[in-house]
Amino acid sequence: MKPVSFDYFAPTTVNEAVALLEEHGDDAKILAGGQSLVPMMNFRLVRPTCLVDINQIRDLAYIHEKDDRLHIGAITRHRDLETSTLVQQCNGLLFEGVQLIGHTAIRTRGTVGGSIIHADPTAELPAILAALDGEVRLIGPKGQRTISWRDLFVTFFTTVIEPVEICDEIIIPKLPSSAGWAFEEFTRRHGDFAVAGVAAVIVTDNNDRCTDARLAITGTAPTPIRATQAESFLVGKSLTQTTLEEAGRLVSTEVEPESDVHATANYRQHLAGALTTRALQRAVERCLSRKDQREK
Amino acid sequence: MSKRIPISVTVNGETYEEYVQPRKLLVDFLREDLRLTGTHVGCEHGICGSCTILMNDEAVRSCLMFAVQANGTELRTVEGLSKQGKLHPLQEAFQEQFGLQCGFCTPGFLMTACDLLEHGQDYTEEEIRVALSGNLCRCTGYQSIVESVQVAAEKIRKG
Amino acid sequence: MKLQVEHVFQVSRDVLWQVLHDQTRMADWIPGCEKLEEIEPDRFAATMKIGVGAIKGTYKGTVQIAEKQEPSQYTLAVEGSAAPGFVRGKALMKLHVEDANVTRLVIDADAQVGGLIASVGQRFVSGIAKQLTRELLANIEQSLRSKPEATA
Repeated sequence: MKPVSFDYFAPTTVNEAVALLEEHGDDAKILAGGQSLVPMMNFRLVRPTCLVDINQIRDLAYIHEKDDRLHIGAITRHRDLETSTLVQQCNGLLFEGVQLIGHTAIRTRGTVGGSIIHADPTAELPAILAALDGEVRLIGPKGQRTISWRDLFVTFFTTVIEPVEICDEIIIPKLPSSAGWAFEEFTRRHGDFAVAGVAAVIVTDNNDRCTDARLAITGTAPTPIRATQAESFLVGKSLTQTTLEEAGRLVSTEVEPESDVHATANYRQHLAGALTTRALQRAVERCLSRKDQREK
Repeated sequence: MSKRIPISVTVNGETYEEYVQPRKLLVDFLREDLRLTGTHVGCEHGICGSCTILMNDEAVRSCLMFAVQANGTELRTVEGLSKQGKLHPLQEAFQEQFGLQCGFCTPGFLMTACDLLEHGQDYTEEEIRVALSGNLCRCTGYQSIVESVQVAAEKIRKG
Repeated sequence: MKLQVEHVFQVSRDVLWQVLHDQTRMADWIPGCEKLEEIEPDRFAATMKIGVGAIKGTYKGTVQIAEKQEPSQYTLAVEGSAAPGFVRGKALMKLHVEDANVTRLVIDADAQVGGLIASVGQRFVSGIAKQLTRELLANIEQSLRSKPEATA
């Protein structure tokens, strides 16, 4: 099928884009990478009568480092992140996670802002944002607001963004040099939507004891969630295999997934736990090897 | 009915000036307006890869773009791979290694592999498989496709 | 697709029954309800705007109340169609007395989803279903709180 007819606008500034959204209201839809929107339009599941293409707003494609944060423009492509040495150096979790998004051709067009605002419950970027306590900046006619991921995600495919707002920037902290990280997800085939995924970050002190642990889970709830029980359990502990397995077990009891055509609730719980242990194992290995390198 | 929008797009080195409806997908523009039917329509939702072309030297799903978005860009389709009758190393390799049967998925694989090999030629088999995982083939079972890409990489490396 | 949800309301069973059958209030708690018109007793023409994220549709259809066993149970059948597809659902609504002013509502629903949304939008269906039940219960709560007196 082909999309329903629509009026097309390609503003070159954020203000123009916001003005267009205000003018056309509910009938307007932002076109960013299009890798999620256009399939829905091709199936006629979504029928906007007005498309506001923000790909010409060059000002929205950037990766800047400021103090201890990375500021990423909303139309930065996934592919730009995966080829950025700045991202690789400052936030290995983002660097690793973005490579798991779909396939190369999808990543050439797909955008950071688009993926996060689309809020697919199985997506990688929302989970990474959650693990890092990242923020998102929204701009509308009333001005701009920066909100944390917790306040952003409401439920499946739904954020607090108003129809007249656009997301213009993602803000995530850089990972400290004492951190280790990993993103583990399970898909039936490479590049499929994840059945479940875990973003893990571990920070240890000089005695290899955990001082900070982040576990964000995707695919087990309407939004990404943080496994806070497992996180608190890990803090203060030596990260032995037994401890990591216990953290995995805690995650599997903490998540409350539903059954669907892809997996039963039980299987998702099991997956969340197993992926947590695997992610933690790699995160700990990374943490230790980075420490060895620093001490050389 | 929305008005037609003028676009200027360079495809395989040749510049075309056309008018398109906003809803016209890039893949349909290539096939119907420019008569470049080498690029195929499979799933229309970005999964099968048969619509893959290169935009500004990077692989994109032409079924997930509107023709208007290609204004001012440089596109390369499978028709542009051979130069003056001489096959591209990828095309030679697919021919030699039996990397196709019905050929429906082949243009998509060729363009994906073209993006891959233009950004490097030193890949493990696993890396090649991952890079090609966004293209589906119903005929070959993929082994011969992977081998074709490996042989092409070698050809390109040797120059 | 089967759905079972329950929720405890801090009102007596009689009040909950009244609110659920009060036609002046039904448009308040039926999710996305923009218009509700009685066709015959216990049968209404409804326009409901439902969806999740970008997948929203304006569903036109009917709401039917039947098999009433006041004040303990009844069935609620909703049927609607829109561009993304159609929905047909029948729910057994049971009201259990927990205490003088505490009632548990148990909804046992069976829904069929068809059309576009079912064939290519499977990923969104369970999300929409959950969203609807959440909205339904939240709306009933809201309705109870805003007008706590039962209407005769």
